[in-house]
Amino acid sequence: MTAASSSPALRRRFRDNRAVRRFARNPLALLGLFMVLGLTVACFLGPHLLPFDELYIDLRARFAPPLTGAHIFGTDPLGRDIAARLFHAGQVSMTVGFLAMVISTVIGTVVGVVAGYRGGWTGTVLMRLVDAFLSFPSVFLLLTLAAFIKPSPMTITLIIAFTSWMEVARIVEAEVKSLREREFVMAARMLGLSNGWIMFREILPNVMGPIVVAATLTVARSILMEAYISFLGYGIQPPLPSWGNMLNGAQQYLAAAPWLAIVPGLAITIAVTGFNFIGDGLRDALDVRSHNG
Amino acid sequence: MSERDFQFTRRQSLKFFGAAGLAAMAPSVLGMGAARAQDTPKGQIVVGFSQEPTVFNPHLLHIEVDEGVHFAIFDPLFDVDAKGNFYPLLAKEVPTVENGGVSADGLTWKVTLRDDVTWHDGTPFTAEDVKFTLELLVNPDFRSWRRTGHSLVRDITVVSPTEISWRMESAFAPYTAILASTFIVPKHGFEGADPNNAPFNNAPIGTGAYKWKQRVAGDHIELEANPGYFGDGPYLERLVLKYIPDITVLYTQLKTGDIDVLALQWISPDNYEEAKTLPDRVVEVFGAPFFEGLSFNLQRPQFKERAVREALYYAVDKQTIIDALYYGVPQATESYMPRESYYYNANLPVQEYNLDKARALLDEAGWKPGSDGIREKDGVRLAFTCSTTSGNHLREQAQQFLQQSFREIGVDMQIGNLPPAVMWGDHWMLSQFDMALAGLSCLTGPDPDTSDYFLSTSSPAKGGNGQNTWVYENPEVDELLKKGGALVSPEERLPIYQRIQEIMRHDLPFLPIFQYANIRGYKTGIQGVEANINNRIDTWNVRSWRWA
Amino acid sequence: MARFLIGRLWQSIVLLLLVSLIGFMVLNLAPGGPLSQFALTPGMTKEALDRIAEQMGLNRPLPVQYLDWLWKLVQGDWGRSFRDNRPVLEVINSHLFATLLLMGASTFLSMLIGGWIGIRSAIRQGSAFDYAMTVACFVALSIPTFWVGLVAIFLFSLRLGWLPAGNMYTVGDGSFSDILVHLVMPACVLALVNVAIWARYMRTATLEVINQDFVRTARAKGLPPRRVLMKHIVGNALLPMITLAGMQLPTLLGGALVTETVFTWPGMGRLFLDSLGYNDYPVVMGLLMFSAILVLIGNLLADLLVAFVDPRIRLE
Repeated sequence: MTAASSSPALRRRFRDNRAVRRFARNPLALLGLFMVLGLTVACFLGPHLLPFDELYIDLRARFAPPLTGAHIFGTDPLGRDIAARLFHAGQVSMTVGFLAMVISTVIGTVVGVVAGYRGGWTGTVLMRLVDAFLSFPSVFLLLTLAAFIKPSPMTITLIIAFTSWMEVARIVEAEVKSLREREFVMAARMLGLSNGWIMFREILPNVMGPIVVAATLTVARSILMEAYISFLGYGIQPPLPSWGNMLNGAQQYLAAAPWLAIVPGLAITIAVTGFNFIGDGLRDALDVRSHNG
Repeated sequence: MSERDFQFTRRQSLKFFGAAGLAAMAPSVLGMGAARAQDTPKGQIVVGFSQEPTVFNPHLLHIEVDEGVHFAIFDPLFDVDAKGNFYPLLAKEVPTVENGGVSADGLTWKVTLRDDVTWHDGTPFTAEDVKFTLELLVNPDFRSWRRTGHSLVRDITVVSPTEISWRMESAFAPYTAILASTFIVPKHGFEGADPNNAPFNNAPIGTGAYKWKQRVAGDHIELEANPGYFGDGPYLERLVLKYIPDITVLYTQLKTGDIDVLALQWISPDNYEEAKTLPDRVVEVFGAPFFEGLSFNLQRPQFKERAVREALYYAVDKQTIIDALYYGVPQATESYMPRESYYYNANLPVQEYNLDKARALLDEAGWKPGSDGIREKDGVRLAFTCSTTSGNHLREQAQQFLQQSFREIGVDMQIGNLPPAVMWGDHWMLSQFDMALAGLSCLTGPDPDTSDYFLSTSSPAKGGNGQNTWVYENPEVDELLKKGGALVSPEERLPIYQRIQEIMRHDLPFLPIFQYANIRGYKTGIQGVEANINNRIDTWNVRSWRWA
Repeated sequence: MARFLIGRLWQSIVLLLLVSLIGFMVLNLAPGGPLSQFALTPGMTKEALDRIAEQMGLNRPLPVQYLDWLWKLVQGDWGRSFRDNRPVLEVINSHLFATLLLMGASTFLSMLIGGWIGIRSAIRQGSAFDYAMTVACFVALSIPTFWVGLVAIFLFSLRLGWLPAGNMYTVGDGSFSDILVHLVMPACVLALVNVAIWARYMRTATLEVINQDFVRTARAKGLPPRRVLMKHIVGNALLPMITLAGMQLPTLLGGALVTETVFTWPGMGRLFLDSLGYNDYPVVMGLLMFSAILVLIGNLLADLLVAFVDPRIRLE
């Protein structure tokens, strides 16, 4: 009941929010939101609307070009419907991207907050660790990990998260450092609140803006990373489709069946571009200063 | 990169056809090296491989493609041709019991060598080099890739620069065939060096038709004609072995003419139809001694019953896999023995694709469908994971196709593919898989003997030393293998090895699908390219390749 | 300055230790091993593999193997490749040129094009060009490099037949023009992402400079716009570009790896993938270390260069 009665007010507050208004005025951000939402809806609803199962093999119908009968995007070398696989792959790829973002953001935030608040020796060690990971060609590390660990959606997610938490950590650390000496933190300390409380209940909420921006960009990066690993054959394994592994065999059939390469590549591009647009829009809306300069 | 693991599996196919091979040891015209008008070498041929040759010492642990270089640079004492006939190279004649080269008990060997051979650096070739090679192979500090047979050699005596003799610890009939794949290396190439790291290993000196010129790592190897070659050839001024890491690009380059011969890893079956229509290109299919099959881990409770294995065999639509996925290139088989072999049993029952029979068999054996449609019996679900090397597209496609067929008879097969290092490590060797899809050869060298694979004592999972990764146990097979190993005469051995094939077909520790066949392509006008199931690599007779 | 360098050195050593430890652990803790690829050799037995493993010292305890490897590394011995037994450094060195050529060409291209786009966008801030380029850059940053490579091969090699589909040169040729023809596609594909990065940075940098006093002064003095632009804006905006060049090294190396795969370019990236595939651990470790060192040096050089160019920055 309360939820119902408070909802108009909430909605108004939401609409009046400066950030929301700024975001809504940014056409690119809106376009990005539209792309991501559209793709998400397509991926999660699409499979129910299509007359094909993404795993159903029909060798008589292999290599059908797009728009053959009900196969809007054509079929793959096993005669499976590419549209069905694409949508299913989208679920997998976006879930991997999203989960990798959550995990890496949590790691990055914890490292960043602790390093920024504690400073001193702890801070130095943590930030050197961040530098170490940052200055490393992560694709090399990523592939080394992926080549020797049994590939599954979970391990791939963890591997991606493991190599992409540093940006968040760095941003958070810088923010926390600047907040550490502010009055409200001093006050909290004087009140005798525990360090944990101060770090995560007092300081953290003030750093949410940059974190949200970085997290959005991390989703984009993670989707791209999954595509790289799976393309090289070390990622998500068939028959489970992912955008990357749909491209994996495509080079072989490039001359005869170019749609095998074009369709999933477009999907990846749309998703990643969408998240990047949103991230940039959020950066403007939340007034986060650019950290990549 | 698409054929991830069977690149490692096709290394060794040397085989001789028992009776045919042993009886017909008359030197073939090929290797006679008799005086004859020989053209001056001209032109070059670029051979494309999709793996990179990197090991140039033929006795170090290496993979098949490396032998593409070995055959051009080195010579064995004698070699074996496509029909299974041995012909002499560095030896004057192939040692046999008839010509007195091998004593009747098979224990004493005597080989006479040619006296007109020099190494590429001008040093004369002598019996000392042969002795050095045979000793190097069993040197405990050397990472020798194979000791089988050589470890039985004792008392090597250099009688004269052109004569060498030794004694065998025990009679070992396949040794002739093993020697036919043993390249002789120069003693002076290793003086004062650790044989594992000798400079020789990266700048080999041989007696062969082609001399080492240079290697551009990751790209190509350039060899040049050895004008002083004692045998037939060379006919080319230059031989380039080009490494192109992707079979699709490899094929494209055959089309564009960048490479003249498309060899190892060959043309992908899905390009076969198109390749046949290429102008000025010869495209041919040739058999390989490997069979593709589903291997069971017989320790798993799901697979202990023969009925289950047979039911699964009924559910394998071999013909569709071969026709649709492999474009009809390979042939269905029922045996692990290649059909070209003298010992091949052609009378094995032919598998039938019949899902109803599969279901009936499982029903009869008491495997009843559970609530999710997957059969179970005594609390064991008929569910398992099938693994192979990740990245092998055709195999992954076959796997997914099988998955669907198995589902229809109430069997749940999951796919869990692994990177090659993991797949063929303990996972395979110590039988940690449920089911594996692999291209295998169970033959040890040229012999029909399969002791390392079928003996019940050969399971590494049970402390054995071979590669019986099915953990297959059948006392009759054990008995037969022992009996067959003690016999010399191919006629006597024939029924034994045919019987073993029958038993394997009945017991089904693995489900054979097809025997491998490869598609090679080269430019019209190149002469001498010849398939040879007895030798391991396309360039086995590169010494006599030429332009018309 | 000296303090800065010493500090950097310590940091670098710690980083390298960390990289080597992670790499070593990943390679060696995974099941299987470098010899498992020989398992399917007909006639191969577990005994034979075990013997060779012992000869190669692969059955020693991992910490011993690691320390042994590290100790030799410190002395300049990077080990030998399992595949051709050549010293690892020699193996890397033989693939270095191809990668440097590709990276150099694409960096040159991307700096040129990216710089131009960035400056033009900044000067015409808010124009249609600026807007279009912003969108284009976002898209370029979002497209998977290897996919662009595939599409380019499809278009320019398979359909139009203009450019070779792969490799660095035609066998037997290898002349300058031959290499150039082979270089065009991979360099452009690799440049695509970097053009976007350069353009965005150049735009930001130029905007910062444009609004500074001395530029306004120069303009007020009536200097021709082009001279103001070239002298002040570009001169000042180049600074962050140098830093960026250093920072972009890991990305560039990673991008080169994938591009080399698609175009079968015989560089370090392909060496890395080959070595992974053949379980050539010493080379994999060597490449991990080598690329880390390369990145560290790149970053250091960028810092030093900036300090050198801009007296306002003092290294501490």
